[in-house]
Amino acid sequence: MHLPPDLVLRALIWGTLILASLVTSLILLGAGIQFRRDRQNQYRIARFQAWEKDLATYLFSGEGASRPFPPIAHEDRRLFQTFLARYRATLAGQEAEALRDLYLRLGVHNSLPRRLQHRLATTRAQAALEVGAFRLTEQLERVVPLLNDPVPYVAHLAAQALARAGDLHFARPVLDWVLREERYQRERLLRVLEAFGPGLLPWLEENLEPPATDPESWILFALLTGSHRHRESEPRLLELLETRDMDIQAAALKGLAALADPLTYPTVEPYARHEAWPIRAQAAKALGLIGGPDAIPTLIELTSDPVYEVRRNAAQGLADLGHAGASALTWLAEDPTADRFARDIAMERLEWADERGHQ
Amino acid sequence: MSRTWPEPTRVLIVEDDQATARIIQARLEMEGLQVFVASNGVDGLEILHREAIDLVTTDLMMPAMNGFRLVQEIRDLPPPKGRVPILLISSNQNEQDMVRCLAAGADDYMTKPISASVLVERLWRMHQRAFSAG
Repeated sequence: MHLPPDLVLRALIWGTLILASLVTSLILLGAGIQFRRDRQNQYRIARFQAWEKDLATYLFSGEGASRPFPPIAHEDRRLFQTFLARYRATLAGQEAEALRDLYLRLGVHNSLPRRLQHRLATTRAQAALEVGAFRLTEQLERVVPLLNDPVPYVAHLAAQALARAGDLHFARPVLDWVLREERYQRERLLRVLEAFGPGLLPWLEENLEPPATDPESWILFALLTGSHRHRESEPRLLELLETRDMDIQAAALKGLAALADPLTYPTVEPYARHEAWPIRAQAAKALGLIGGPDAIPTLIELTSDPVYEVRRNAAQGLADLGHAGASALTWLAEDPTADRFARDIAMERLEWADERGHQ
Repeated sequence: MSRTWPEPTRVLIVEDDQATARIIQARLEMEGLQVFVASNGVDGLEILHREAIDLVTTDLMMPAMNGFRLVQEIRDLPPPKGRVPILLISSNQNEQDMVRCLAAGADDYMTKPISASVLVERLWRMHQRAFSAG
């Protein structure tokens, strides 16, 4: 097909014009969006600056209901929620209570039942966060279904909200949620369970199935005992050491290390010779914290273990013992007849401490 | 509780979270203290060199120079700057970090969330101790 040249020329001109106008429109649209965002940011910054001053006056002058805070315009309520949320992880005590009062005064908590079931994950997450941050106990039952939310972030915030309430009525669903997560994630999720407080430990002892049936929960129990330094749970940790489950035993050793009770030393010391290296590694760590000078020969022995993690923990254990342990490390590092593994790990630990200016 | 701070008492807040820094600043200014704010350890150290700071509060986790390093740097300075009382504030409840910071020379340690009233009281105690020790 042969087209006349003037028609081709016209088509090219029109095509160019259409393309140019499209590009111009896009540029203008982008500039408009940017302009709008800038305006919103400027407005947000201005409001935040004003509210910061008001918040300081509100928090630090006057008492209870006499605290003044200017009314928040209806259209600013969402912005004010964001503003308040910035302080939820920072302030405690009376100031946290005052923040809660301020939040309740806004009245946005009335929409929580609807927002907790909203189709948008960000809205559900924000609602769960508010329940947790401002301890809205009357909403907790509505938060429980969010533990099964398809968006992990929402489920995490729901678990936090339930745990922060400290009500053991919600311990089971939150524990089940933690157990549904991958094992490598669980130590991180312990922080969520910790929020229940040490009262969770007796509850677990009473309500969990035996370790042989439910080993994963008992691993969490052992780790929580350590993070809460819950001395009352020590007898149960010693029982857990006698189970045949290597992961439970390692967790129990971790818990005992955190409790640092010297009376448990004779029970823990034989685990330094356990056939499984994760047990030896945990025992090495524990001996440094509970052993005292008696543990030095065992820890020196472990610095020549074939597994690096055991050697590293043994060197750390020696450092944790203080002056006597540090002298042993120096001796190992400087002794040309010492085992090569032991000498290397001692040197590595001493260099590490030297770089950081402490033992 | 009434406290009479000597005038001027200068406090340096080293904190990368602006909201936290400003709320602490507001509370301390209500006490009549003169407050300087830095968002990391490097800037904090610069202010400390420039001003006659009486008390330091610092966050632990910060960009450029963290609180632990800042404590070490301050303690390496000759007195009186090297002896300025330091309060560490952290969102991390890790016991080993607390021990490390105290061993490095921090005078006290608080974990977030904090009560501003408790913070002021601790700063007051630290100031009193430093003052009575000369």
